[in-house]
Amino acid sequence: MLETYPADRPLVEIVKVTKVYSPDIVALQNISLSVAKGELLFLTGRSGAGKTTLLKLICCVEKPNKGVIEIAGKDLNKLSSPNIQALRRETGVAYQDFKILPRQTVYRNIAIAMEVNYTAAKVIKKRIDELLDVLKLTHKRNIPAGKLSRGEQQRVAIARAAATKPPLILADEPTGNLDPAMSLQVMGLFEKLNEGGSTIIIATHDETLYKNNRYRKVDLHYGQFATQSTLPGFLPPANGNQQKLI
Amino acid sequence: MGHETYFYFKQTGRNLQQSWGTQLMTLFTVSMSILIFTFFFLVYTNIIKAGDRFGDELRLIVYLDDEVVPEMRPQIKKKITDYSPVEKIVFVSRDEAFHRLNVQLGQEGDVLNDLGAGFLPPSIEVFPKKDLKNLTLIKQFSDYLTTLPGAQKVQFGQGWVERFGYFTELLRVIVFLSGGLLVMATAFMVSYSIRLTVIEKEAELEVLRLVGARSSYIQTPLLIEGFLQGLLSSGIGLGMLYLIFLWTKTHLSGPGFLHLLDITFFPPVTTGIIMGMSILLCTGGSLVSIRKYLRI
Ligand SMILES: Nc1ncnc2c1ncn2[C@@H]1O[C@H](COP(=O)(O)OP(=O)(O)OP(=O)(O)O)[C@@H](O)[C@H]1O
Ligand SMILES: [Mg+2]
Repeated sequence: MLETYPADRPLVEIVKVTKVYSPDIVALQNISLSVAKGELLFLTGRSGAGKTTLLKLICCVEKPNKGVIEIAGKDLNKLSSPNIQALRRETGVAYQDFKILPRQTVYRNIAIAMEVNYTAAKVIKKRIDELLDVLKLTHKRNIPAGKLSRGEQQRVAIARAAATKPPLILADEPTGNLDPAMSLQVMGLFEKLNEGGSTIIIATHDETLYKNNRYRKVDLHYGQFATQSTLPGFLPPANGNQQKLI
Repeated sequence: MGHETYFYFKQTGRNLQQSWGTQLMTLFTVSMSILIFTFFFLVYTNIIKAGDRFGDELRLIVYLDDEVVPEMRPQIKKKITDYSPVEKIVFVSRDEAFHRLNVQLGQEGDVLNDLGAGFLPPSIEVFPKKDLKNLTLIKQFSDYLTTLPGAQKVQFGQGWVERFGYFTELLRVIVFLSGGLLVMATAFMVSYSIRLTVIEKEAELEVLRLVGARSSYIQTPLLIEGFLQGLLSSGIGLGMLYLIFLWTKTHLSGPGFLHLLDITFFPPVTTGIIMGMSILLCTGGSLVSIRKYLRI
């Protein structure tokens, strides 16, 4: 449903969303944001600014208290569970806490995202070998993921998010545990996926990742947007409402 | 979409691999319950069948003061059949009774010669319809027959019929109880093993939800698991029962009392129904506990 969505409209549309965790922790306050189809966007902000919360709202893990989130024109509040499941199959998410299965092998941890699409075993194997090569994990292929270092586990989480080449990718602090060379490698992977048509949102406070590139950045500050850079390299969507500030 | 079945079975295989201890325990408990239930059920059906065979010989004998003159016969027949339809009615005269006894005694029939043909009372033999199995009904019928004109006494082997009646009654209760035990043990074990599977796989289920697994993707393997449990445990339970049956047949039959019983196994239809019910029970149990524990 995301793949076939017209390219000239925002794929992710967040309108005046507020998220309050009980009892009274305001994680996001009245924020609006449009992400165009095919865009690569950096979500920056200090620790506790609400980056993870925003990504969780987009993949339906959390629900907003106020406001509307639309993905490909569909209001997430009104989606039935089969539709939420379908949306999640089209959204690759690399969670900040990885959400990997420690007793399962690296291979199986990545395969799980493709298996739910009933992808043929051959296709799965080819894609995983490709990803393991890019992320320098080939020699860990059959090792239980729990035995891996944090940085390696992080790459497994990224590989799982990227496995199906999904139309929407959410990466939460994807380079938090990686060395600069490896970070570059991961960024390369995201750029390649973006060129292939995936819309990508990367939440990070790793400056080296977003400095000196052409992608748009939005800065969260205590649950509100502080600044949004315009992007010289990216054409704003036809209705141009992605420039919304708080 | 042809891959779906492949994934369902692959996932089932993984589930079984991860929780084979629980699976074996479930298999053991359920097949034991099936064995216990089918054992009593088989005994019951064989007893009932034996009862049928004895029942063919069940007759109520009405001993009379005097011979029934032939002209009276239709009237008496009508009186009897008015109360209850019967298989047949035989009028036995003094001579006839004497003759029968003579034949039964064979060579020792000489002793009768002194007594003369008149010492045995005439009687009417009433063969009730086969469906008149129930002890109380037979008793009522017998009470009615004593009211026939000239009837002295009615005999039908009360003691034996009574004991047989109580015995089958007891067996029926045991069959029901063991059936209930089977249902409860199965429901408990299947739901227990699914709950364990769910707990063991909680992390995996969470990840599956996060990557958008359809409900059917998560549920179908658990249903297949239930189906296999039902198929295997009823197969094992019935297989063991069959071995017990064979052993009993070769060791206990032969001449004598048990030869009368001539035990037989369930016909294929009954075997099929028992297996079908077990599968239904296990799959149904899975379905209910999936709904309960997964909250999808
Ligand atoms: N489940 C929760 N219950 C209560 N408060 C929460 C919960 N999740 C997040 N918060 C709070 O909401 C605020 C935003 O958290 P969030 O995880 O979105 O920040 P973040 O920008 O991702 O931070 P970091 O860079 O450290 O990952 C924080 O103050 C956090 O303590
Ligand atoms: Mg975070």
